[in-house]
Amino acid sequence: MALPVLICDDSSFARKQMKRALPAGWDVDVTFAGNGLEGLDAIRAGKGEVVFLDLTMPELDGYGVLEQIRKEDLPAMVIVVSGDIQPDAQDRVQKLGAMAFIKKPIDQAKATEVLTQFGILSEAE
Amino acid sequence: MGQAISKASLTEDQRDCYQEITNVAMGQAADRLARLLKAYVILPIPKVNLISASELHMALEDTSSNDDVSAVCQGFIGSGIAGEALLVFNDASFADLAQLMKYKGPLDQHAELELLMDVSSVLIGACIQGIGEQLEISFNQGHPVVLGQHCHVDDLVKSGNHQWSQTLAIEIHYQIENLNINCDLLLLFTEDSVAKINQQIDYLLD
Repeated sequence: MALPVLICDDSSFARKQMKRALPAGWDVDVTFAGNGLEGLDAIRAGKGEVVFLDLTMPELDGYGVLEQIRKEDLPAMVIVVSGDIQPDAQDRVQKLGAMAFIKKPIDQAKATEVLTQFGILSEAE
Repeated sequence: MGQAISKASLTEDQRDCYQEITNVAMGQAADRLARLLKAYVILPIPKVNLISASELHMALEDTSSNDDVSAVCQGFIGSGIAGEALLVFNDASFADLAQLMKYKGPLDQHAELELLMDVSSVLIGACIQGIGEQLEISFNQGHPVVLGQHCHVDDLVKSGNHQWSQTLAIEIHYQIENLNINCDLLLLFTEDSVAKINQQIDYLLD
């Protein structure tokens, strides 16, 4: 069965870039969300087993999403994809339970590397 | 006078793309500033607009209200695209800034100038290069010019000799967490550059 993947970013350009960066031939069912609240709804609906999450977003930012995932104990593996590459930002998201951090702009090589590193991709291959 | 004024325009997709590219570039700049100051830089969502010279005045007024400011500008050019970066510092920022930079000695006008130049070279340089990299344009930067110290925003706008009637303006407000350090970075692209830079954006959107 296709893996439910959620791409949560307020920029439509960034969402498109993220979708293009997914490994070719990876059997996934992609859902898009334009802010943190929409993202949480999608995760609660089971559409985000793997989540690519932006940090700077209106309504609810990426930090807020991570906090809520932890609070509700939602089953989501979160990979933060952000332009905020300050050491503090990376620290904070890892403490909030993010699995990995990828710098923007994202490309296929980086996405594949992280997905393989955490064994998410090997099942599909 | 019966002459058609060619107005540059911006679609929603283009604006979104400019915002995202700026987001990445300002993140790179913030990272360098954070490492320099050993502090966390709060990143906002950048504003992207086509504005007229009079609106620039309003944008600046908006950012620094009635406080005294100091400002630096630096031109950049590459692949037929030209513009200038304008960094406006709220003067109240210098005390905290001096402390973070471990500046010894009295905080006089000279010291403030040094701090202003240090921060502007990091923020402007990284931001311009970050945008250039994503658009595959290599920008050459001119020398930074101090527009004024302890002045009012009005004076800054008067001192600028703006030839354009309309400009693509990208506004970024940087703030340091838990400290009283505030500055605004404005990237202003000349009217003639807008069509050219939009082409690069469309290429990315395609």
